[in-house]
Amino acid sequence: MSYEARAMSGKVLEIRGLRAGYGLHTVIENISIELGAAEWFVLLGPNGCGKSTLLDCVVNRLVPAGGEIFIAEHSLHRNPFEAKLQLGYACAPDVLPPLLTARQCLEVHAHAKGVAAVGADLLALADELRFTPYLESFVDTLSLGTRQKLAVLLSLVGDPLLIVLDEAFNGLDPASALILKRHLRARIERRRGALLLATHSLDIVEHYADRAAVLMDGKLKHVWTKEELQRLRSTHADFEAALAAASGPNLQ
Amino acid sequence: MSAPRLNAAGLIWRNRRAQISRWGFIVAIVLVAVLLAIFIAERRALGDWLSWLRRHGVLCAGLAACLSAAAVAQRRTLKRAEFARSWLAAVPVKPGVARWEAFLIETLPASAAVAALFLGAALAAPALALQRADIEALGVVWAYLSGGIALGVSISFLIPRPKSIDLPPGSRYVPKPKVNRAAAIRPSFSALGLWPTRQMFAWLQPKLVARAVIPILVMMPLGTSADDAMIVIALFGLFGAMSLLWSAAMAVGGAARRWLAPLPARAAAVFRALLLPAWGVIAASCASVALLLLVVDVSYRLAAEIGAATAVIGCLTVGAVLLWHARPRRMP
Repeated sequence: MSYEARAMSGKVLEIRGLRAGYGLHTVIENISIELGAAEWFVLLGPNGCGKSTLLDCVVNRLVPAGGEIFIAEHSLHRNPFEAKLQLGYACAPDVLPPLLTARQCLEVHAHAKGVAAVGADLLALADELRFTPYLESFVDTLSLGTRQKLAVLLSLVGDPLLIVLDEAFNGLDPASALILKRHLRARIERRRGALLLATHSLDIVEHYADRAAVLMDGKLKHVWTKEELQRLRSTHADFEAALAAASGPNLQ
Repeated sequence: MSAPRLNAAGLIWRNRRAQISRWGFIVAIVLVAVLLAIFIAERRALGDWLSWLRRHGVLCAGLAACLSAAAVAQRRTLKRAEFARSWLAAVPVKPGVARWEAFLIETLPASAAVAALFLGAALAAPALALQRADIEALGVVWAYLSGGIALGVSISFLIPRPKSIDLPPGSRYVPKPKVNRAAAIRPSFSALGLWPTRQMFAWLQPKLVARAVIPILVMMPLGTSADDAMIVIALFGLFGAMSLLWSAAMAVGGAARRWLAPLPARAAAVFRALLLPAWGVIAASCASVALLLLVVDVSYRLAAEIGAATAVIGCLTVGAVLLWHARPRRMP
């Protein structure tokens, strides 16, 4: 069965009973999330609640202490190569190699993903984001926003089913952020893939997300379903108040 | 908070001490034991050493003063620059307290050296007493060295502060790749192999190289021939470049691991892409070192042995570090 067929029939991402941390300190515990086709899932939560730790586990940067992660029905633990073929992750700008050019970063990502060439749609997006003039520049000479654009472009190499972004819109100018949000929405619809985004920005929940969850103290506190989000949108509800209500008595 | 910088430094030291693992303590104890063993083994020669040091007391004091002045002046520049950007910069402190606090922090290398001399003297005094050797020499040597260090601290205030330098991005010193802007992006890991060498060039700042070559150039009017100086500079350059390449490969190994972890890249392919060009540069440098040694009349066999040993050690070190970086991290 092809990946597309698997994704259409099954789940793009499945996290079962995940537990992870650093040293003896457990950061997240008993996290279970499922992402279906064409789904944009937003992870909200206060600083230090474990959002980045969860994403680090999903992208194999941190080995969890317990639980399982499946990407396009491939276990990340038992079959990491197949799982990562369907994964695109925008790393933090400071993780990008400072002494390679943007073009060379794209070459390395394309080779790792086993694609014959970087897709025309990706180059078109680079053009839209006004990134093309920086292709021959060394990463350490790029501004924060330009490096953020490069990180997102790298995550889209190989047209992955699952796109994982950690605060990816930080540092982007409003026009580029808008272009990128629309592109990502169109991409997951076309590819029947999924997007997992950790952010503090409620406007994405308001306008783009299919589902959203609040992570507090390493546990999922509340998950808004597609229907709940649509109801909030249709009633022009205050998303900040909804987040405060879901977060618990301290915020209320 | 009466002395915020000292209090913060104390807390940081306490936190670091709490983080030292059991292995750290074991290594420290072994080091102390080794030093004590050397001291006990050489205790009979202690009197002769002290007599020699006493005869050359002024020279020792002068050297101590120079080292102390350089160390304290450098630390003062660094600490003042750090403090200007520190989270404690805006905390209100009485001017007198701030001055004493800054003095204690900036002269820490000198204070540590005087404390170490005091401990050494306290350890040596009973040994000398048991041998009925000249304890007075110990006092005189201690006074010369401590006095030299104190003089160096005073001199350090006369050394002008260097101008602050904003370092350019490392890529400024890296050869620019020739590319055809219209060419398609070709998937390849070849850029990974360039990374360690580029990091080496980025660290080879022209100012640092110029400073490092000064002592060799100074030696020339003292009788060194131009040919010898050129060979020494070449050897120095090659060994320096190799050391930097080792460090670069180590740094790049960790950075590449963080960057490439989410990619479906075969570990062996990444390892090969990073390692082979670095091995090539190390092997070429070692061959050049062997040739230069031949020029300075070292035997064929010795030159070949030095070249081969350097190459093997360099290649194995780099390979081991890259393998170490490739290990998975697990929560206990």
